[in-house]
Amino acid sequence: MTDLMISLRRSPRTLLERDGHPGPGPGKLGLVMARAGVGKTAVLTGIGVDAMLSGQKVLHISIERTIDKVREWYDEKLVEMLKQNKKLEHLSSLQLIMERNRHIHTFIGQTFSVERIGQTLDLLRDAMEFVPAVIILDRMEYAQLDMPSILELKAKAKEIGAELWMACRTHRDGPAAAPGHLPPPAESIEDHVDVAFSLVPQDAKVRLHVIKDQDEMIGKDLNILLDPQTLLLVTGVTAKK
Amino acid sequence: MSSDIHKIRNIGISAHIDSGKTTLTERILFYTQRIHAIHDVKGKDGVGATMDHMELERERGITITSAATHVEWNDYHINIIDTPGHVDFTIEVERSLQVLDGAVLVLCAVAGVQSQSITVDRQMKRYKVPRIAFVNKCDRSGANPQRVTRALRDKLNHNAVLLQLPIGLEADFEGVVDLVEMRAIYFRGDNGEKIEYGQIPAELQAEADQRHAELLDAASMFSDELMEAALEDNATPELIHEAVRKGVLSLELTPVFMGSAYKNKGVQPMMDAVTRYLPDPTDVPIEAIDLDSDGAAVELQSDPEAQTVAYAFKLDEGRYGQLTFLRVYQGTLRKSDTVIQTRTRKKIKIGRLVRMHADKMEDIEAALAGDIVGIFGIDCHTGDTFAAPGPQINMTSMFVPEPVISLSVNPVDSKAQDNMSKALSRFTKEDPTFRVSLDPESNETIISGMGELHLEVYVERMRREYSAEVETGAPQVAYREAISRRADFDYLHKKQTGGSGQFAKVVGYIEPSTDGEYEFIDKIRGGRIPTEYIPACDKGFRASLDKGNLIGFPVVGLRAVLTDGNSHAVDSSDMAFMTASRMAFREAYKKARPRILEPVMRVSVEGPGEFQGAFYKSLMQRRGTVLGSTEDGGFARVDADVPLAEMFGYSTDLRSATQGKAEFTMEFSKYAPAPKEVSEELLKQYRTNVSDEEDA
Repeated sequence: MTDLMISLRRSPRTLLERDGHPGPGPGKLGLVMARAGVGKTAVLTGIGVDAMLSGQKVLHISIERTIDKVREWYDEKLVEMLKQNKKLEHLSSLQLIMERNRHIHTFIGQTFSVERIGQTLDLLRDAMEFVPAVIILDRMEYAQLDMPSILELKAKAKEIGAELWMACRTHRDGPAAAPGHLPPPAESIEDHVDVAFSLVPQDAKVRLHVIKDQDEMIGKDLNILLDPQTLLLVTGVTAKK
Repeated sequence: MSSDIHKIRNIGISAHIDSGKTTLTERILFYTQRIHAIHDVKGKDGVGATMDHMELERERGITITSAATHVEWNDYHINIIDTPGHVDFTIEVERSLQVLDGAVLVLCAVAGVQSQSITVDRQMKRYKVPRIAFVNKCDRSGANPQRVTRALRDKLNHNAVLLQLPIGLEADFEGVVDLVEMRAIYFRGDNGEKIEYGQIPAELQAEADQRHAELLDAASMFSDELMEAALEDNATPELIHEAVRKGVLSLELTPVFMGSAYKNKGVQPMMDAVTRYLPDPTDVPIEAIDLDSDGAAVELQSDPEAQTVAYAFKLDEGRYGQLTFLRVYQGTLRKSDTVIQTRTRKKIKIGRLVRMHADKMEDIEAALAGDIVGIFGIDCHTGDTFAAPGPQINMTSMFVPEPVISLSVNPVDSKAQDNMSKALSRFTKEDPTFRVSLDPESNETIISGMGELHLEVYVERMRREYSAEVETGAPQVAYREAISRRADFDYLHKKQTGGSGQFAKVVGYIEPSTDGEYEFIDKIRGGRIPTEYIPACDKGFRASLDKGNLIGFPVVGLRAVLTDGNSHAVDSSDMAFMTASRMAFREAYKKARPRILEPVMRVSVEGPGEFQGAFYKSLMQRRGTVLGSTEDGGFARVDADVPLAEMFGYSTDLRSATQGKAEFTMEFSKYAPAPKEVSEELLKQYRTNVSDEEDA
């Protein structure tokens, strides 16, 4: 099973590993940037699946969404991965592994706060001995996090040894990124972003770019596509321009 | 009865327990003049609500079985099925949903969208039932219908839109603002029967304008005409009604109404909404199966002149014998008609045809397509189809979950034995999730069902309705066995004891099947086993599945593949191949790493946020896999998959851990491999039982 799990891994985190980076690491923040509807959540879910396939625990936090909906994304992603690898017979065992290594926490009715995330992390640790290595924050545009909140989140993540991944929505008609900076609205927090990817729609395809890695601002097309049908990352020949 | 099918509404009233749906139904009966006095659910006046017609229901204040009733409202004919609120009786809910065209989702203005509402809503989605929402109990302290509407959007993903606003709340709740007509509605008189219209109170005008605009925005998505009219500031109530109806029928819009059934407020506008927005029988496509055309799907027509097709969705034992509730889907069902019961091919003559009003009835001559009626004197099961002579039509079979829990029942004396048999025979006909079997080893009668409460209620009904005193054993979980890998078999069955002998050889393998079903594949080439013996091999394997070798529970998810074999011109027989297959199964089963599967329930625990940690702990202690948690204001909900074996007594534990402030629901989720220590314990128990029986 472990070999299969390793062979299924495919996400921006693995790309960083291949380039010799260990991922953002504890207390570090990774950002997935794109405009609405391009596939940020798909990439975030992919990061969650990837972490679980590598044996890590994942806390997926969402706003105004049901647990069933978030579970559905993970299940769909896993089904697609197994289909492509012709290993669908392992679905139920892998689903079970995912369920044991994942906790979905949703906030509805404007109840989100960074303080509540901290309390939830404490509760999960104390009541279930669940300490995530990866925390995914989905739909944070609804939370409108300010700088102190980001710093508080990073501090909490560092305390428990978790890395943070967050989606950031850019605007179609918004101002372009200034040279050497992240696109708005992330430029205001860019000093605290450790890794940033962007999803760039181009000729009916969505390409994955790395735009920041540790202290370096880059802007490299990774020759990776987000398949709009399966919402999986596609590497290799098909991804080339 | 009107012959206008467009004026028939078949609706269900579904909700979380204690949301007040029985009180609401009671008020509907009063306003439609079916009853002339109002009673409370818990029967302070010793009478009890009319729809809760079973004694047990009255005592517990819950609705256990559906009761159908017919009412007339503004020239419309409405058949109402009052559905149970406890998840252990979901088959009742599912039955209702199958025969209904629309539903009213009753929500509590204080507690909002509770766990049972989520389960019921999931079932409604499965049956594609259009619904409107009624936020009840607006007179209660803490009532907040706007918050409930938000929860409909957030928790249930409904496109919920307010059609009313409350005038005052809690003790000051006076009436509602109609956001379509933009006027106030008050409910006067001793029982709220006098409706008065007035101007919107000045302090609510601004909010009413804003909500009216939101309503126009939401409804105009379903009508270009309304959109254009709204742009020109010329949206008429008729255009809004039409657009809302389209939205409701497409399941893309849920209009929200509000009131307090207990205080007699808001019920009549909700009834208007039922007739206005919920579908008539022609709006809902009805699919059936034509058994003459190899099970091809056929769409039934609500034409009163077409071949009659009716479906039995509920049985009830009344003073005059078995009462069968039928939904007529096509044609006309008349008194003295002869119809054919599709399952048995028996001809049935319709004797007495009645329209039900809770526990009273009215004799009628005919029922048209779309109607719901009762018939007497027919021996049938729920789920049976009746069709007039012609093509053999069967309604699509209903999804029936497998029972997950069993209990032995032993009558205390011979009188109780007779009565128990009568009771069980009736219950199994009424409820397909309730099963009865005989344990061949202990000779005890075993009843099986969907949960502890489900079985408890039937045991209680045996005592009360049939005077059958029974002793019950401890609840037993319905385990299963399954193999985890492929194993080959090569078995020769040869016996020569004088006279004709027995000879059969089977070669092949067994392996897990992914869909959980049994499958038999014949890959024999060149007639190594003559074709006439192949069904006997299938039979032999199938018979082996009844009782696995591990702990004696049925084996599921197995594929048997026959690749080779041998036969003898004289000594081979069906019996020989059946025996060979059974022995081959036994041989291969051990090698195929069989394991024990246990039923796992989806459990949702809900209560004040301060108990979130207690929820996690209580579920983890019961080997639960916590799937996630939701925070909503001061409330928290935790969803988990928990083995059924660990759920006994959970309600007591939860109550004591949360001072009675939390509640939970559970429904069957899946079968999953039992962990090693649990399997070992079950194996130990099984071996002890077997050796005890052998010693005895």
